[in-house]
Amino acid sequence: MKIIKVLLAGVSLAFLASTSQAATSGNTLATVDPEADRLALQSHFQRRFPQVALSDYVNGIYALDAPSREQWQDIEEFPPYEFDIEEGEILFNKTFANGKTYADCFTNGGIGVRQNFPRWDESQGKIVTLELAINQCREANGEKAFGWKKGKIAQISAYMAYTSRDNLFDLKIPNNGAKAAYLDGKQTFYTRRGQLNMSCANCHVAGAYIKIRADLPGPALGHVTHFPVFRSKWGNLGTLQRRYGGCQKNVRGVPQKTQGDKLRNLEFFQTYMSNGLVANGPGARK
Amino acid sequence: MKKTISLMAALMMVSGGVAAHPFNEAFNEQRAMYGKGHSFTWNGQTYLTDHPEEVAAAAEANATNATALLAAAKDQYAQVLAVDFGWTLTKGLLKSAGKALEAGKFQDSMNLSAQAQYHSRMGLVQYEQSQTEWIMAVPQ
Repeated sequence: MKIIKVLLAGVSLAFLASTSQAATSGNTLATVDPEADRLALQSHFQRRFPQVALSDYVNGIYALDAPSREQWQDIEEFPPYEFDIEEGEILFNKTFANGKTYADCFTNGGIGVRQNFPRWDESQGKIVTLELAINQCREANGEKAFGWKKGKIAQISAYMAYTSRDNLFDLKIPNNGAKAAYLDGKQTFYTRRGQLNMSCANCHVAGAYIKIRADLPGPALGHVTHFPVFRSKWGNLGTLQRRYGGCQKNVRGVPQKTQGDKLRNLEFFQTYMSNGLVANGPGARK
Repeated sequence: MKKTISLMAALMMVSGGVAAHPFNEAFNEQRAMYGKGHSFTWNGQTYLTDHPEEVAAAAEANATNATALLAAAKDQYAQVLAVDFGWTLTKGLLKSAGKALEAGKFQDSMNLSAQAQYHSRMGLVQYEQSQTEWIMAVPQ
């Protein structure tokens, strides 16, 4: 009897130890605390780079590295995405065959709304990114969906981002469905993938501003605010999910599905981390 | 109460001791230091530093074995893709293994299949680890 009591006490202690660890770790729906995560990430970067103002993180690596910032400022004098904004505006205002336009699908006619995406859509039970909303708008009006990564969808997204510059991101997590999506995105962000066994966080949290060969990875904070971006490497404009696919290939992992649940949830998590920062897309990057 | 604490401490030490140097760690250390074909002792037993796929590829190089190994590698690749943890080079390795098999280069085919199967097995290990270990990287 005594042995049973001792064993029971031991098992109870072990159980308590495991639950108290989970309570502080935020890896379950019951314990995840998005606001605590956001503040912890901000605090991480403020400790690492105390000289950098929080608001400057919207500029990515150019907030941290002065020589890169100088080159970038030169590029921004004649922004390479300028024509894409113009083309995006034309496409945005083009009437569908049924007489409607994109403006009919979005609040405020689609002007100044970039900061509200991605968002939890209760009726669909999933996260909706800006690019998904654009394509859903097209399909709802009898038009064929665009490809996800570049071209027209990126141009429309760029125009919508441009009309939203300086608007604050303030994503909401209204219910457990949204919280589950957030948690899934968080897990994806911190999970190692590919033959190189690296996670997003390896480069963009611990590895931010530490050279990987000739490149300096940008900080995760403010990562999403300037998308879509014109990357010099691409020679054209691309969406955030195009970049996700590229990152996953870089670590020799088979990329997850563009605009699938995993990458939409990742985008939601990353954008929530940038709550309080302004939208400043489209941007120019190396 | 004292007995309870002593028992718990003993249990933790035992589990900690086992976890401190499990077989996988010992194998990986030896493999990293000496490469394949090296023997080492762990818990009184002797083991080789060969991966299971390398052992399979060391079988007689013929059409039957090469075909079976390629099929097994393709099967494991399908499994790792199903959990979304595939690696980029695996598909190419499988393609090359298939071409080598068609050309009658059985040993080449078996080596390539073994490499592809190793990639997939490691992808599955990565998937298993990802379910619990990711949280340790989150800034607190």
